[in-house]
Amino acid sequence: MPTRSPARLVVALAVAGVLAIFLLYTAVAGHSTPTLTPSEIQGKSGKLSVVGTVVGKLRGDSHAASGLQFQLVDPQGHNTKRVDVVYRGTSPPPLFRVGRSVVVSGTYAHGRLQGSDIVTKCPSKYTSSPS
Amino acid sequence: MADLGRAALVVTFGLAVYALVAGGIAARRNERRLAASARNALYCSFASTLIAAAVLAIALVRHDFSFTYVAAHTNRHLPVAYALSAFWGGQEGSLLLWLLILTGYGALAVAINRRLLRDLTAWVVPVIGGIATFFSFVLVAVASPFDTQTAPFDGAGLTPSLQNPYMVAHPPMLYLGYVGLSVPFAFAAGALLSGRADERWIVATRRWTLAAWTFLGFGQLLGAHWAYVEVGWGGYYAWDPVENAALMPWLAATAFLHSVMVQERKGMLKVWNMVLVALAFELSVFGTFLTRSGVVNSIHSFAKSSIGSWFLAFVVISSLFSLALIMWRLPLLKAKTKLESALSREAAFLYNNLLLVALCLTILWGVLFPIVTQLVKGETRTIGRPYYDFFLRTFGLPLLLLMGVGPLIAWRKTSVRGLTRTLAWPTTAAVVTGVTLVAVGAGSSSPGLIAYTFSAFVLATIVVELVRGTRATGSLFTLVARNRRRYGGYVVHAAIVLLAIGIAGSSAYSSSVERRLAVGQSMTLAGYTLTNRGVTVDPKPNVTETRAHLDVTGPWSGTISSGDNQYVNPPEPSREVGIKTDWLRGEDLYVIVDEAHPKTGLIFVQVLVKPLINLIWVAGIVFLFGSAVALWPDAREQRRLVARLAPAASA
Repeated sequence: MPTRSPARLVVALAVAGVLAIFLLYTAVAGHSTPTLTPSEIQGKSGKLSVVGTVVGKLRGDSHAASGLQFQLVDPQGHNTKRVDVVYRGTSPPPLFRVGRSVVVSGTYAHGRLQGSDIVTKCPSKYTSSPS
Repeated sequence: MADLGRAALVVTFGLAVYALVAGGIAARRNERRLAASARNALYCSFASTLIAAAVLAIALVRHDFSFTYVAAHTNRHLPVAYALSAFWGGQEGSLLLWLLILTGYGALAVAINRRLLRDLTAWVVPVIGGIATFFSFVLVAVASPFDTQTAPFDGAGLTPSLQNPYMVAHPPMLYLGYVGLSVPFAFAAGALLSGRADERWIVATRRWTLAAWTFLGFGQLLGAHWAYVEVGWGGYYAWDPVENAALMPWLAATAFLHSVMVQERKGMLKVWNMVLVALAFELSVFGTFLTRSGVVNSIHSFAKSSIGSWFLAFVVISSLFSLALIMWRLPLLKAKTKLESALSREAAFLYNNLLLVALCLTILWGVLFPIVTQLVKGETRTIGRPYYDFFLRTFGLPLLLLMGVGPLIAWRKTSVRGLTRTLAWPTTAAVVTGVTLVAVGAGSSSPGLIAYTFSAFVLATIVVELVRGTRATGSLFTLVARNRRRYGGYVVHAAIVLLAIGIAGSSAYSSSVERRLAVGQSMTLAGYTLTNRGVTVDPKPNVTETRAHLDVTGPWSGTISSGDNQYVNPPEPSREVGIKTDWLRGEDLYVIVDEAHPKTGLIFVQVLVKPLINLIWVAGIVFLFGSAVALWPDAREQRRLVARLAPAASA
């Protein structure tokens, strides 16, 4: 004759364990980063990511001390607010250029984003055909 | 031509609606002729979708730019294979592929099971009809691949990075997996609707689930390899929402494949299995929503389109339907037996399931986090690699250990002494491996060391099982042939171990250095010395290839080239990395030339040495082989199952 099932206890312990790990992580190690568009960045500072379209002239070199300089605007083009970016590090991805949608991560202070990482969006997939 | 495609899709929509409505009425009233008619409608819906697919494929091959879709995704220079791959390169075509696979899978699964599981398949037809109704409606009314225009001279072309053999195979593999999960979901729903919630639906769909899971898993590895060789950042998985969209249903399906064994053997976890099969299906549709709605930021630039709201509505409605169905049939889903011991095979399966589902849900939380923070705080926040890596280690390492322990524990209960005896050899192998690794200086990464120790443990358990079984049967071939499912599973476990070793090796022990090099200057990394020998430019009709050439000495000697291609049409660049594989060490020397100045010969180069990374790709082949062994028809097993389930079928 089967005795009282430990299944519920196992499940409860597992759920509790997962929650505990999750809370521990979010309390100790977890830190999320704000991901903003140029029109949302006003009044913010610190580590963040900016999603936008590259505009203006590309100046400088990402490997040099002065960095690669460009500007970002809202991806949808509804807002004209621009963010100045200075990016230093490895060369940006090959698809990076004016007009391309990118995500730049870094530190924002005094109206300028000091970028340390650029992700260029992969074009063509699953965008609707122009009609 | 476009009219034919459009008409074929309208016919598919009508047939799907008929399969849904007439099939539902027939199943409810037990009307056999009407049920046969609904079934035939499902078969015909595959035929009409096939006509629509053929129209689009012909238009792509013939470069018929009067089709808006063809003009947007191909051009005249595109080779036939890549022109055909544009079928799934865009939104409308990929949805058509989804519908084609769904109606094909559905028709085949119903045809195979219509006699053996008549009462159940009567309900499967309207469920698949319902899913097909949604997809055909979207294709007819929201995103048609058959919109036409005045034909331009040439099309926009396909992005160069997608012109890669992996991109021909990777998306259809994923679709075969995603859509394949509809079949077990439809049979589970059919079992609940018909009130036949025994194990027959599991037996009928086991191979379907396994095949879908294999396609999904292998498809992801193909995508990872494409990213590694083509995108040129030295990695293969970025925890991007779109990559996660394929991983989540695969994890849920992995849990399901394990937990059904407990239901088949012990009649337990019936509710859990229903939840898992529904979760896997909903996550596969959710992935499609995610990739097409633009609600989250991804490296894949998915446009915000109206199609996302349709998919969201479908996910919500089908989730509520599944939940309501399970709640309604709860009394039929009572377990036949109870878990007797926390130290038993069924308990090990339960732990494995909890870890897999926990990993799946934490990934889902990471994907949804930006949406949740936007809703709650009015600010989009994202969580990146550290979050995912932490949970991969937290849940993945115990999972790896369980993969070794689980198959060696007896069903019902086992004693600690018995278990200790069984695990003696594998434990010894693990300890020896750990000590050896520390002795040779590979103890710098704790997760890497733990992963290798656990991997040695799992491999040793597989060897112990094979040796023990071969001794009993006299031949390894006979052993595997007699229980393909079990030993196919062991081969898949071995593949996962190879994957774990590859991931741990390439991430925990990789090294990297960046330098600016003039012609003649050198740099060193992990025993390799690379010397810049200059830059060449090779103009071709549709592309200009710029390459930096570096002489390499060290564990391998020769010349390696890297640079970029600048295409004319479409006017896109692509990065071309240099990779030299040392198969003996499983190691790659990976060279990314960021900047190459043809006049001065000056280059900026990043060099990575990635130990054991090639085990990841080898794991894919082993995974495929193991799945094939488990999938191979087994008459002996079939007889065993029929005998066991016959009472349930006649009840």
